[in-house]
Amino acid sequence: MKAALFSIVPYQRRQDARGWPAPVDAYSSDVAQTSMAAALDQFELADELGFDWVTVAEHHYSPMSLTPNPMVMAAAVAQRVKHARIALLGSNIPIQNPVRVAEEFAMLDTLSGGRVVAGMLRGTSNEYVTYGVNPAESRERFTEALDLIVRAWTEPQPFGWLGRYYEYRTISIWPRPVQTPHPPIFMSISSPEAAELAAARRISGGLAVTTLDRARESVRVYREAAREHGWEPSGDQLLYRIAVHVAESDDQAREEWAPLASAHGHAGGLRLSAANPGVDEAAAGAGYYGRDAARQRSRLHAGGDIDERVETGQLMIGSPDTVLAQAKRIGRELGVGILELAFVAPRPELSRRSLELFGTEVLPRMRER
Amino acid sequence: MSFIERHVAADGFDIRYLEAGDGPPLVCFHGAGGLRLSRAHELLAEHHRVIAFEAPGFGDSEVNDRSNSMSDLAGSLLEAIGALGVDRFAVWGQSFGGKLALWAAIAAADRLDALVLTAPAAIREGELPPPEELATMLHAHPERRPNYMPISPELDAKQRELVGRLIGPPRDTELEDAMRDLQVPTLVLFGTEDRLTPPELGRIYRELLPNCQFVIVYDAAHAIYDDRPEALAAIVTDFVEHHEQFVVRRESGLLYP
Repeated sequence: MKAALFSIVPYQRRQDARGWPAPVDAYSSDVAQTSMAAALDQFELADELGFDWVTVAEHHYSPMSLTPNPMVMAAAVAQRVKHARIALLGSNIPIQNPVRVAEEFAMLDTLSGGRVVAGMLRGTSNEYVTYGVNPAESRERFTEALDLIVRAWTEPQPFGWLGRYYEYRTISIWPRPVQTPHPPIFMSISSPEAAELAAARRISGGLAVTTLDRARESVRVYREAAREHGWEPSGDQLLYRIAVHVAESDDQAREEWAPLASAHGHAGGLRLSAANPGVDEAAAGAGYYGRDAARQRSRLHAGGDIDERVETGQLMIGSPDTVLAQAKRIGRELGVGILELAFVAPRPELSRRSLELFGTEVLPRMRER
Repeated sequence: MSFIERHVAADGFDIRYLEAGDGPPLVCFHGAGGLRLSRAHELLAEHHRVIAFEAPGFGDSEVNDRSNSMSDLAGSLLEAIGALGVDRFAVWGQSFGGKLALWAAIAAADRLDALVLTAPAAIREGELPPPEELATMLHAHPERRPNYMPISPELDAKQRELVGRLIGPPRDTELEDAMRDLQVPTLVLFGTEDRLTPPELGRIYRELLPNCQFVIVYDAAHAIYDDRPEALAAIVTDFVEHHEQFVVRRESGLLYP
């Protein structure tokens, strides 16, 4: 199994949950600068520890994440991370200019010597407010933007694009991606619609802000659809994102993490879609969630106590031995080959030690079959 | 926009055509399935004098055993255009009609304002599939075809015989050599879902033709005019008017004054 270090690059000062978009009246540029520097340090450390990937994401208007443009962050990461792949999960392509996305991924691939993993996501429902895109058009825009981006990477002659949502009279991007024919693409396969599209396009699948039960169903739909399209996703084409905390012993890890256990739901969901129920409700009403809306929306509110979170695959916690067993269980149950890890802890120094322990005690043994 | 059916005598043929609209003349050459109007024709007639010819030997016309090549057939159609008193014009050719349009452009480059090729069959990867399979490959969105009636097996056989006799090899060296010198502004369009003439063929036209714009039409198969008629009509109108300068968009982006 491979390991990715995921950082959402949070604003490192406790903010009261005050909805979305979050107001900036208590904003400190010093805290923001320290937060970004800390994230870069963490990515660099993960690289030194031998992580296979480091991952950034796109979120807007919230202290939960300071990377509204993950491309910019990834360019900085590429200067510090020398060996690991640099994954963007993702670019929220339906709210962007797809040609610009293709250009930026190609730039990053060039800057990083061909280490980019091009994640393309729809983003959470609130992101549609960010640039004023109708969430009802999200899936159609996604599919068209995806096809256009791949075409922009691979078409050797200047070409125009006469789409439904996008029209460009002539496209010929420079630079081109280093990886041929293009960087590996990952997309979320949480919803059945997304799993089917990924299978049809032979795109790798990512599962985040979810639980083992939900993920198992998503993987089932994905594998079944892939089979219908005549292929079989390998472990390296399946990624599962999960929070982790490692300490010397199980008791110590649980004790350290206890202050977070009382928080409800996935931290991500709380600060984004779920932070503005009105926006989420309106997006849902527009058809943003698709045919299993209830299951998709419930993902954001999973939560539970430590045991529940471990059992349902939202958290790996304990000694290196325990966490290794938990990682292997997820790999086995879902057939995923890439675990994307968010080192979530109440204090930065705990998170750093947890990362070091994981890198030295768990990661080498995770690679063994 | 209602089309009027007329006939014109040219090169010894009685040639049927459908016409509608005012504006710069746009001559249309149909595909191997014969002449059939689409929503795209109607939309184009809002800005052009659209003249859609039925090539001799297609539809109810007499069996055509006189045309010996695509270039021959193109010559007959150029005569018909002349007989209508049309001096300068643009040509839109679909599939088989795309190859015909290329030959017409080569023969009468000085009379052509612009050339539009949708899913042209001048460069091909394989042989034409059997009728039943072909029928399923034309459309990405068959539900968008208005009042579609399949042609009879007899007519299909008659047209196939003619197409088979005239179409030429998948890579036609004589044509391609002539394309290298063709200065007429050309717009080549391929659909992303086209399995008969996949969009990757577009780059070859772009490489061969000295003044070629290549556009990929999203979510359209071989029959772009049925799958994406609004988009096709808009870009063709723009291209016929502005040629390669159609890359500069002229619609206002102003939301509120």
